[in-house]
Amino acid sequence: MARFGIALLIGAAIFAVAAGSPAQAEVKVGFHAPLTGFAAADGKSASVAAQLAVEDINATGGLAGEKVVLVSYDDQAQPAQSIAIANKLIAQDGVSFAVSGTYSEPTRAAATVFQEGSVPYIAAYATHPAITAAGPYVFRPFKIGPPQGAAAARFIVEDLKLKRVSVVSVDNDHGQTALSGFKPAAEKLGLEIVGAYTFGMKDRQFGPIVASVKRDNPDVIYVAGYFFHGAPLAIQLRAAGVTAPIVGTQGFESQELISIAGAAANGIYVINGMNRDNPNPKYKSFMTRLTERGGAEATGVASAVYSAFMLLQDAAKRAGSIDRTKVREALAATTNFPHFYGTLQAFNADRDGQLPSPVIMVKNGKFVFVANIAN
Amino acid sequence: MYYVELAVQGLIYGSMYALMALGLTLIYGLLRVLHIAHAAVFTLGAYVGVITANATGSLWIAFPAAILAAVLAGIAIYRLVYAPLLDRPPLVPLIASVGLLILLEDLFRIVFGNQGIAFNENPYVYMTVTIGGLSIGVLQLAMFVGSVASLSAFAAFVAFSRTGAAWRATLGNPQMATSFGVSVAQVRYLNFAIGSAFAGLAGVLIALLNNYAEPGMGTIVSYKTLAIIVLGGLGSMRGALIGSLLLGVIESYGTVYLSGGVDRDAIAALCLIAILMFRPEGLAKRIAA
Amino acid sequence: MNGYLVSLVPLIGVNAILALGLNIIAGFCGQISLGQAAFYGIGAYAAALMALAGLPFWLTLPLGALTAGVFGLVVGLVSLRVREDFLAITTMAVGFLFLGLVRKSALFGGEVGLTGIPPSGLGPQGYALLVVGLVAATVALSIYMKASWLGFAFASIAEDEGAARALAVPVPHYKLAAFFIGSALSGLAGAIYCYYARFITPDTFSFLVSVSILAMVVIGGIGSTWGVLLGAVALTLLPEIFRFAGEYRQFLFGLALLMVMRFSPAGLFGMLSRLVPARLGNLRKARA
Repeated sequence: MARFGIALLIGAAIFAVAAGSPAQAEVKVGFHAPLTGFAAADGKSASVAAQLAVEDINATGGLAGEKVVLVSYDDQAQPAQSIAIANKLIAQDGVSFAVSGTYSEPTRAAATVFQEGSVPYIAAYATHPAITAAGPYVFRPFKIGPPQGAAAARFIVEDLKLKRVSVVSVDNDHGQTALSGFKPAAEKLGLEIVGAYTFGMKDRQFGPIVASVKRDNPDVIYVAGYFFHGAPLAIQLRAAGVTAPIVGTQGFESQELISIAGAAANGIYVINGMNRDNPNPKYKSFMTRLTERGGAEATGVASAVYSAFMLLQDAAKRAGSIDRTKVREALAATTNFPHFYGTLQAFNADRDGQLPSPVIMVKNGKFVFVANIAN
Repeated sequence: MYYVELAVQGLIYGSMYALMALGLTLIYGLLRVLHIAHAAVFTLGAYVGVITANATGSLWIAFPAAILAAVLAGIAIYRLVYAPLLDRPPLVPLIASVGLLILLEDLFRIVFGNQGIAFNENPYVYMTVTIGGLSIGVLQLAMFVGSVASLSAFAAFVAFSRTGAAWRATLGNPQMATSFGVSVAQVRYLNFAIGSAFAGLAGVLIALLNNYAEPGMGTIVSYKTLAIIVLGGLGSMRGALIGSLLLGVIESYGTVYLSGGVDRDAIAALCLIAILMFRPEGLAKRIAA
Repeated sequence: MNGYLVSLVPLIGVNAILALGLNIIAGFCGQISLGQAAFYGIGAYAAALMALAGLPFWLTLPLGALTAGVFGLVVGLVSLRVREDFLAITTMAVGFLFLGLVRKSALFGGEVGLTGIPPSGLGPQGYALLVVGLVAATVALSIYMKASWLGFAFASIAEDEGAARALAVPVPHYKLAAFFIGSALSGLAGAIYCYYARFITPDTFSFLVSVSILAMVVIGGIGSTWGVLLGAVALTLLPEIFRFAGEYRQFLFGLALLMVMRFSPAGLFGMLSRLVPARLGNLRKARA
């Protein structure tokens, strides 16, 4: 009797599964972000944004009519882990598409695997120039490092109208790629670099650099680093009596910049910072839900990840199917996509998105929009 | 003037190294353990300092609280981790120490959040004093004076007090000291307590200077202070002090003049290798030997 | 085997060869190195530069290993001057110096690293097989070496350097040999990693990597070839196994390191091999 009961249960379960599945086909989308380790703050925001994006995609017709199932892993921002994850996503989970919510190195390492598996892969916010060089299946709807640096030089010359700059950069790919775009642009625009200094990822005390900048007496200071460098550096510069404005890179964009630097944060510009005054109603609703779910620590990262998923949905819609080759072609043919950072005009030959660089600044303890540096 | 300023900045940061290196030297001198997890005690001091200051609004409470927390943590680490491993080969406590550092850093991250905690109010970061034409931050001055004062007080304690004498004897020859009625176990606890107190003090001072505490703030400091105590000649306090200040100054100039060749973190490595090639025993020989 | 498991093989292999290489230096010859990531990096960068210059895969692999071995010899010379804890910290410094130089050098791609490394041409399955073969060869080399005269000389140095000298063991030669072989193996691992990731940056060869290599050796059971192999496999898979732990992953990793050292300092292999004799001991005690 008991055995019959079990058989009945199994039969019912099989029936339920069989009856449930044809209602809507499913498509798996892979995702990886650094949920633990040093980059966990960005990973958390990225992962919440990915979940919100998938919910929104499923509420608005899915990917070309198919329901999206998100498969998400922690990569600790390490390339060796992201390679294993990329293989797992392709071979074990059978994802059709993937989005990177992680840093440059793990993204670049995974990109090769996705390219070889012919899985369209969208890097949401990694800025390493070589990521899309992995091949035609890899896209980046985000501004890469060197043009961000060039945009900073243009902002200083054209908007701030300043002439002498001290350059301070962190010794990692974020700092050095930004610098590699800043230097030639500065030269072209007649912006004089009066001093250039570098510091390590873990440095928080910048005594010698502050002393040097003070001696340089520049009009403006360009800092290619992160908020945890920018905040203490701003405090130390102001304490030493240096009043020149500070222009920071994308890595400055965090509420923590303001909570650590306090009054010294006021007046700091951030190039390629997320425009929080974005009038797009979708953005407002996204931000509300992001905050509710505790993902607002890294707003810029979250916005870029959400936009990357929306871009995927947009491409699938235009392709009219979830065929990977067709979606890849649709991605490549993207024009005027409403990315939260601004209108993505198109992808260039390297499949890097052509976007404006929004500039934001800290005013009375809040990030406000300043200008868009056109592409 | 600029060059003097660089040197002064180097001495100030070097005095933080000195606080950390002295603790490591004390612990190494007696136990022969390379106590990498000292960095976690430093970080704990910083966190307790920030949290207490934010809760009470007073640095006069924050400093003792942070130092007390560091002392308790140091004693607990000795009691629970190192004491049972002392008769093992030195690699065993070393790996245990690394494990402990990874564990504690992540614990700070889990408990206090990924991005650290900032002081609610810290007016001192903007205050400066002018000494001989040089403008120095009040906190920087406090760091330097605090280090010099506590290290001098410690030196006086070792030189003139009864406990200090027992301490010196134990460091020189534990067996002999035991036969004269010194409790080696007590001296070991004392070493951890004092070393950790210095780390706690350094932690709060750095937190004040940075205006916040964060989970990974100790990692590079621990590597550099390990390099310093070797550079100074393992177990030598004088060597550690000289090494700390010297590294501070060299890094300060190096930040400006060497940045095209090596990064700042490699400067300590370069100094260490260069000095050991000429003096395999480090800058100073062990005083107690 | 599916593609995921196949892709884990080179990763495990890299760590196994790194750990076995360090085991020759630290386990057999008793010289502590906290800077193996530097030789790992030298092998990877050498292989990458040669591959980018157009050298074929079967040539870059041994040449990468050889380059790392030569640099290992240089550090071996240091070990003739400084001992024990001094050596541990000096090798740690070597690691930081390597990173500092690579970060600033245009030849090595600086912070951006080297990309566009061509595939090995063996395909994922073939590559995994090759790595398994190389690991097996490394294990065989380790076992042979330990049993050979070389192994006895190493052990005598590890035991008591002065006594070894007194017995007319040419200590410097053997130390240099240990550093050369161990570092060449690290370099081989680097070359394997280079073709696995096909993209290398300085951060891949950080101090934490040196520490985790040492952790594999010590947790597995220093000096024991099979133990070290076990340690390498376990520690490579640990982060994968700890995936369920989510936010607490790193925390558990630290805890595992601490607990093994605290309660079974002879490592996992020591723990396994103790289980049987311990039971015998209990029997004997009961009889007495």
